Amino acid sequence: MGTVYVNQEDAFLGRSDERLKITHERRTLLEVPLLRIDGIVVLGRAHFSPALMGELLERRIPMSFLSPTGRYLGRVEPELSKNIFVRSAQWRASEQPERTLHLARAFVRGKLKNCRNDLMRAQREHPELNVQKAIESIQQNIDALPRTENVDSVRGLEGAGSASYFAVFEQLIRVKGFSFTHRNRRPPLDPVNALLSFGYSLLRHDIQSALNIVGFDPYLGFLHTQRYGRPSLALDLMEEFRPLVVDAMILGCLNKSVLQPTDFESEPLSGAVSLNAEARKQFLRQYEQKKQSRFRHLVLEKQCTYQEAFEIQARLLSKYLLGETHQYPPLILK
Amino acid sequence: MFVLVSYDIPNDKRRTKIHNALKSYGEWVQFSVFECDLDDTNYARLRARLSALIKPEEDSIRFYFLCRTCSPKIERIGGKPPTDDSIFFAG
Repeated sequence: MGTVYVNQEDAFLGRSDERLKITHERRTLLEVPLLRIDGIVVLGRAHFSPALMGELLERRIPMSFLSPTGRYLGRVEPELSKNIFVRSAQWRASEQPERTLHLARAFVRGKLKNCRNDLMRAQREHPELNVQKAIESIQQNIDALPRTENVDSVRGLEGAGSASYFAVFEQLIRVKGFSFTHRNRRPPLDPVNALLSFGYSLLRHDIQSALNIVGFDPYLGFLHTQRYGRPSLALDLMEEFRPLVVDAMILGCLNKSVLQPTDFESEPLSGAVSLNAEARKQFLRQYEQKKQSRFRHLVLEKQCTYQEAFEIQARLLSKYLLGETHQYPPLILK
Repeated sequence: MFVLVSYDIPNDKRRTKIHNALKSYGEWVQFSVFECDLDDTNYARLRARLSALIKPEEDSIRFYFLCRTCSPKIERIGGKPPTDDSIFFAG
């Protein structure tokens, strides 16, 4: 099963027999059996035939739409899964402050521990780096988590921990030509921020699909508050995966010189930086490889890929909400 | 399951139809030979589609099943390399 990325502006997506057929100016770009696909990501603009749209919804294949620079625009989702029990447990938990707090803490603990472990590994491998202070301050934020009394203070610790992490992020880039001072977005103003934003958009497509498969309402979160049209639960579950999947993959791309400073272009007016078409393909391939890479899941005690882990974590979350387990274990990797 | 499908259809129009149906279920590897990696449901669907298309007195289609441990042992000389199906690009 694979994801289809549509890179060609104004491509036409149609159906031919039981296959997805993508054409542009009468030229066939891709023809692939629908049973081989589990998601479509459209970058830029595309046309869909009505027959294909119906078929995709029927086969429960979600489509995400990203702007040409990789900003997340929205998605077309098949009917929500029929698992009403999960959703009602989710709504009930959101009314219970102690369960909401438990989950908010868990998501933030997952994220910060993964950030800290990344920095510790970098420090071990490159003793000349100066990240010890950041590690300590992230550790302090982690230690303070159990003492938090409401979700707002959890958010505060998350913000402080992230800030310490991104303050030393530049040191993890060991090639010349890239700089990173702070995280900026909408639009991202330098290559590293552009990659982070793009990577998080892709991650969101995958996490939201996993949540839907398990039967959650992705719009009701615990750490992220309700806002019209914002899939807060997807953003919640993303936290622990951000450093593991996206940040690690981007550092890999930069440090192995898969991407060069010349692969980026910036828009004159807004200063928005984005990847050029060829490099974008390379980036998508790296992301896909990262998702397919295997590691040992500590809770399940077996090998799995990150792609599978998205769904595993969603299932662990549903177990907690349904009262089958006493806590939600975020994915933390050493 | 990994299925090797081979067919012998004298009528051009019917052969095209069969070929077209098979393209939705697997990889065309040689003239009249497809490799399909299918679950039970999809195999049943494919089989039903094909049996509705053929004329049993003239045509023949064969399905060879390869076990999980045998399919990685396929040796290929020449031809297209096997495709990676975790990512597809259009454009």
